[in-house]
Formats: sequence, C-alpha cells, structure tokens
Amino acid sequence: MTLFTKDDCVLCDQLKKQFDLSAMDVQVEVLGNNDAAALAHLAWHGLVEKARKALPILVLDDSSALHEFPHIESHLLNRAARYGITTKHLSTQASCASGNCALQ
Amino acid sequence: MGVVMPLNAGTAQTRTQQVVNEDSTDIALFVRSSQDDMLGWNRQRIVDALLRETFVDRDTAEKISRDIEVTIQAGRVKTITGPLIREMVNAKLLEMGLEEARRMHTRLGVPLYDVDQLLVQHNKENANVPHGPEATNLTLAEGIKKEYALLQVFTPDVADAHLSGDLHLHDLGFIDRPYCSGQSLEYIKKFGLNLPHALSMAKPAKHAEVLLAHMVKFAASLQSHFAGAIGWDAINLFYAPYLEELSDDGVRQLAQMMIYEFSQQAVARGGQAIFSDVNIYWEVPKHFVDVPAIGPGGLYTGKTYGEYEKQAQRFAWALFEVYKEGDAAGRPFFFPKPLVHITEKFFKTDGHMDFLHHICEVASVKGNTYFVFDRGDTAKISECCRLSFKLEASDLEDAKQPWKMRYSALQNITINLPRLAFRAKGDDTKLFALLTEKIQLAAKAHGQKKKFIERLMSLGKGGPLSLLAMDLDGEPYLKLHRCSYLIGMVGLNELIRVHLGQELHDSDASIKFGLKVIAHMNIVCNKLAETLGMKFVLEQTPAESTAFRFAKLDLAHFSKEAEKVVQGNREKGEVYYSNSTLFNVGATMSPIARVEKEGLFHPLIEAGSITHLWLGEAQPDKEALATFIINVFKHTQNDQIAFSPEFTACLACGKTSRGLSDACPYCHSKDVDGITRITGYFTKISSWNKGKLGELHDRYRNNDRFNN
Repeated sequence: MTLFTKDDCVLCDQLKKQFDLSAMDVQVEVLGNNDAAALAHLAWHGLVEKARKALPILVLDDSSALHEFPHIESHLLNRAARYGITTKHLSTQASCASGNCALQ
Repeated sequence: MGVVMPLNAGTAQTRTQQVVNEDSTDIALFVRSSQDDMLGWNRQRIVDALLRETFVDRDTAEKISRDIEVTIQAGRVKTITGPLIREMVNAKLLEMGLEEARRMHTRLGVPLYDVDQLLVQHNKENANVPHGPEATNLTLAEGIKKEYALLQVFTPDVADAHLSGDLHLHDLGFIDRPYCSGQSLEYIKKFGLNLPHALSMAKPAKHAEVLLAHMVKFAASLQSHFAGAIGWDAINLFYAPYLEELSDDGVRQLAQMMIYEFSQQAVARGGQAIFSDVNIYWEVPKHFVDVPAIGPGGLYTGKTYGEYEKQAQRFAWALFEVYKEGDAAGRPFFFPKPLVHITEKFFKTDGHMDFLHHICEVASVKGNTYFVFDRGDTAKISECCRLSFKLEASDLEDAKQPWKMRYSALQNITINLPRLAFRAKGDDTKLFALLTEKIQLAAKAHGQKKKFIERLMSLGKGGPLSLLAMDLDGEPYLKLHRCSYLIGMVGLNELIRVHLGQELHDSDASIKFGLKVIAHMNIVCNKLAETLGMKFVLEQTPAESTAFRFAKLDLAHFSKEAEKVVQGNREKGEVYYSNSTLFNVGATMSPIARVEKEGLFHPLIEAGSITHLWLGEAQPDKEALATFIINVFKHTQNDQIAFSPEFTACLACGKTSRGLSDACPYCHSKDVDGITRITGYFTKISSWNKGKLGELHDRYRNNDRFNN
C-alpha cells in the first residue's frame, strides 16, 4: 500500500501525524522536485493527472486508488485497527485552502 | 546560387573607385563577384573584410593580404573567385593560429557537387516537401541558414552537441522562425485579412467561402513564418455563425473546399504543404459556451457560441463525410489533419454515439481521425504530429475573447537517449547525471534561439518577422513571453535495452525504469523552467528523420554498442531508433495493451504524445473502434491515438487499393506508390527516408485485432 504525498500539502501532513504509517506497512512517497522514482511510481499507477488535481492519494494492495480524503482516512483507521496500532486524534481537521494539496 | 565575392565591403561607388584606383599591384586578375560583374584584383578588399568581419589588427590583415597576393601571383591564375580568395585567407588565419577570426570570416555556401545533386535528387529529410525547383530553392536556402545557425546563433558547445548527435536542434534551416503556431479563426473573423506588406487589405469576411479564403491565405502566410505546424482551434464551432443560411449541401461544399484547399497547397507553394491541423469538437467546449459569437462582417451575432452547437455539429459531420470519401482517386487526404477532442462533455452531448461511429468509420476506411483525449477538466489545442498546449488559467481567460488565443513553441530539441546509456555503462547515477547535463544543454540552446528571435522581433513591423509583430489586438501576434520550449527524446526503448538488457515491452521492470527516465526529464524541465523563467516542456518528438540520424551516427561513433540495439536493416542502411517513448513498433502486443502501456508515459510528457496503431489491410468495424475509443478514454491515460491503414495508389490507372502492394490489383501496373502514416501524418512512401522505410517494414499490423 502506498500513500502519495507532497511536502507542503496540509492534508498529507495530517495523515502523517495521525498515523504511524510505517508500522502499518504503508509506503509513503513524497512527490516533489527531486524524486523521479516517486513520480515514476505515481505514473506507473496511472495517477499523475489525478495527483495534479488532489493529494494525498492512497494506492491499495490491489492497485485500486482512493482519492477522497475522508475515504483515505477511514481506510487507514481500519488498517490501524487491524494492525492494533493506536492513532492520534487531531483536534482540528486540516483543509486545503492553500491549494498546495496537488502536484504542480 | 551565384559565386560570391564576399571581400567587397563597400557600396557600388566604392567598388568602382577600387577598380579605377588600382593600387601598386599590377596583377592582371579578374575576380568573379556575386554582383554579376568581373572586378579587378585589389588586395585591399582582403584587408577591409578582415577588419570589418573579425577582430584582427590592421598589420595582420595587411600581412595576410600580401601573402595571399604572393600566392596568387605564384599560381599564375587569370581568373579567381571571391570564395576561393576567402578560403585562402581562412587557411592563412588557421596557419597563424587565429581560429576565432577564421570562424568569424567563414563563408557559408554549398559545394558545386552538392548543388548538382540537390537539383536532381529528392531531399527526403521531410517527406512533406515535394521535389521541384521551389523545393530545391528552399533546401539550398535552408542549408545556408543551418550553417549560419550553428556558427552564429548557437555557441560551439551546443553546435558540437548537435553535429555529434548528442542532441538534435530541429529546423535549423528555419532558424529565423519559431517552431509552430496554434490559433483561433476569430483573429481573421474579427480583423479581416490585414497582413503587413500585403498588397491589399480585406475587411472581415461576410460569407463562409470568403472566410475560408482568408483562412487559407493566413495559414500560408503563417507557414512561411513558422517551421512547423499551423493549428486551428475548434474550427467547426468558429465557422458555425456563417453556416446558418447554408443548406446541408452548402455546408458539405464548404467542408470539401476547406479540405481540398489545405491539401493542395503543396502544389501551389512548391515547398512544404501547410502542415495544418483542425481541432474539432462535437460539443461546445465549456470555455466557449458563454462567449459572444462573431459572425459575418466581424460583427457579434447577438448569440453565444453555446447556441451554435447544431451548426458546429453539421460542419463537423460534413468534414468527416469528405474525409471518408477521400480525394478524386479515393486516397486519404494528407492535410488538414482532423483532431477530434474526446471529452467528458462529449459523452453527455446528444448524438455523440452517431458522431463517434462516423469518425471511427473514417479512421477505419481512410485513417484520418486523430482521437485526442481531454479527461477531467483538461482543455487543450493540438497540432503538429502530437503537440498540444494545455489551456491554463490565463488561456481560459483569453477564451472570453478567442481572437487572443494563440500558442507557439519556439523551438524543439531532441535528446539522443541510447547514447546516454552507451556512456553510462549500466551505472544509474551516471545515466541520470548525463541526462541532466543534456537537458541543461538543450535549455541553453533554447535560450540562444530565444535571444535570436527576440532580436528579430525587436525590429518590429519593419523587420523580417513583421507578420509576427503585427498587433491588431494590442499584442504582437507572436506572444514571446508565453512561448513553450520543447524538449523531446528519441530511443527510450533502446536506452532501456542497453541499460537493462530488455526492451520496454518485455517486462514491467523495463516500463518502470523507462518511467523513471521520463519522470527525471519532467522534473529537470520543471526546475529549469523555474530557474530560467522559460516554459520547458517535454514532447514526444515526431523525429521523422532524427530517429534515423541518431541511429546512423551512433553506428558510426559507438558501433560496438549501437550494433546491438539499433532497429531496422543495417545492410540496407534502413536503421532507426524507436521514436520517443514508443515501444518497439514490431512488438506483438494487443492494441489495448499498447495504448495502455504507452499511455502510462503520456501524463509526464505535457506537450503531447500519441500511440499509433498500424492497421495494414485491416478495416475494423466502426462499432468495434468506437468501443475501443470509449475504453481508451475511460480506462487509460493515453493522450491521443491514431489508426493507420495502408494504401497502394496506382500511378497508371489512378485507382487506390487497400494494403501495400508491388503492383496495382486493378491494372497490374508496377507504377505504384504506397501511402500510410510516416509519423504524425500521411504521405507517400516514395518520399520517406531510409530509417522510416526500415520502420515501415518492422511495424506490427493489427489485422483482425478489433473485431473480436
């Protein structure tokens, strides 16, 4: 399972704070100006155009992808429960008014 | 081309003075000049030229001129030419170690032998250029401009990279023009045909036929100011306000006129046909729905374009009826290329399935249709072999006044990918470092061309680019600050083969590594764009002759490595690299697998990509192709596809048959020519370069792949 993120994306940051992603076997790919491998991985899943509209994106083990933040969060909550990993409750829900939650 | 007498610096008057006031030398020599005159020998002309054209000091110039005079005297020649004197001076400069002065004093020209050959033999660098006196004029002029570009416009490192085949600077023979242009018909609808230096000025057209005449002439003018394609946005929509009073027959007649006018321009011009593209929409694109429509006389009709959907559809339908029929001999029209945009809205617009079947039938019967996929909110204008400009926020703002919509790429530079792999010898770090280095060099070359064009543009309406400087809407026609700078690639498949030992179609690992290479190119382009303030974008270079040139150069300079990976037939010299990010053209793949897998690369190549599906003799059902197109739109990332059938045109009986044959099936004449798509357009196979002939032989034909 892979979570595609970006450094200045507030929604991506929220997920990183909320979940111990490595303990949940979720690979985190950070898209940016220096990582061709991450961008290539995104392209392999056919998600470049989707990422240009919104991040984060969660790619599941069957290669299907979740794009809506609530769906991603919910899926990760279930996975954390299955792994027996506690999650952090964040008092405020991040929003992406800054417009940085997308691949440029 | 006459014999040049380049040492003559001054006006006719000073030249006369020089002849009359013969200096101390009494050599009875005549120098053939380019002024259709025989001038007397005067060594002062050597001095003048050296002082004017180089930085050598007067004493050195005097010494060189005296030495040359001695040499000529010793040679006992009676007549000498200007070019010969210049060559002698250049040899002297070299002998004295004055390399930079020699460079500045270079004479551009063509050997006599080459001119002999060019006048007779067909130049096949561009299959779109017919053979004839006007074409040879162009070839000769391009030769000079190409040399000029490599000496004067680009720095030696860039020129050397081109000449050695590390990269390819496209259209050097058109150094004083931008690469291509996409625009709106609204410009001439609003302003009429009002071009600089024209002998007459036409007001905005009042009738559809006149608008067509304006469009064709404007396109021809633009073609002589751009090296590549001339594209037109939403052509059926922008004609719509002129069609209301026309019957269906009238609309069909107009469609026929448009296609014939563009496809026959090559005959009229002698040089390259207008490489014309027409973008066609079944629906009214969202960004034009509320835009006030301009109609006859350049006046607003009082309606918006959203209200012209039916008229626009009538014209689109009629255009494809003409394409389906083909020309008088049943051959497919080569130009204008129809690019149909398949969008989310397309599928929500009444009649879309009928239209889809109609254009799929044309794709199957004649192959003309290009299917351009604009998913989500994407809007773009497409042209050339696969180039597209995605409309950004500022472009969509311009769409409110569509005559402002025009997009250009200033230059196209292609990187030889297999060569990087030869040099990297399997080392990833080295491979990516070399790739970065070449992209940086390409960016530097783009900066140099930009500076050169800026200089020409700064001469304004009195300069050579006056057409591009015209500012009828308050801005120069060429919006330099918004131009794109294209960076392309050739031979990703062969890079992978050298680096990993497999081709792209062999494994997922190959594709993933290929994606990493293109992702790296995308990222470096973005970084350079940010740093240099220029819009560098990746494009799948059409590489009609570049794929051949790179393969040939690599066989010469990297023979041991290149022999293992170059495609084609080496014995016949029909060698090539796979175009851009395309998979091996001969790989046995289902059409959907090819479209899907090649399409993975497309979102990383922002200025346009295409997948070709070679049909050969197959003629799939329109329903099967329509289903295929819908699947491609919904389930892949592919940007654009085209289906390419093959034809045999008989030059004896004039009939056209399906498939490539050595003899006409009707009259059995062997005087036949094949027709199919060379890269992004149809043309006659007899005009193809050797590399493309090699590729044609290797292409995998999708016979019976669609009907099951």
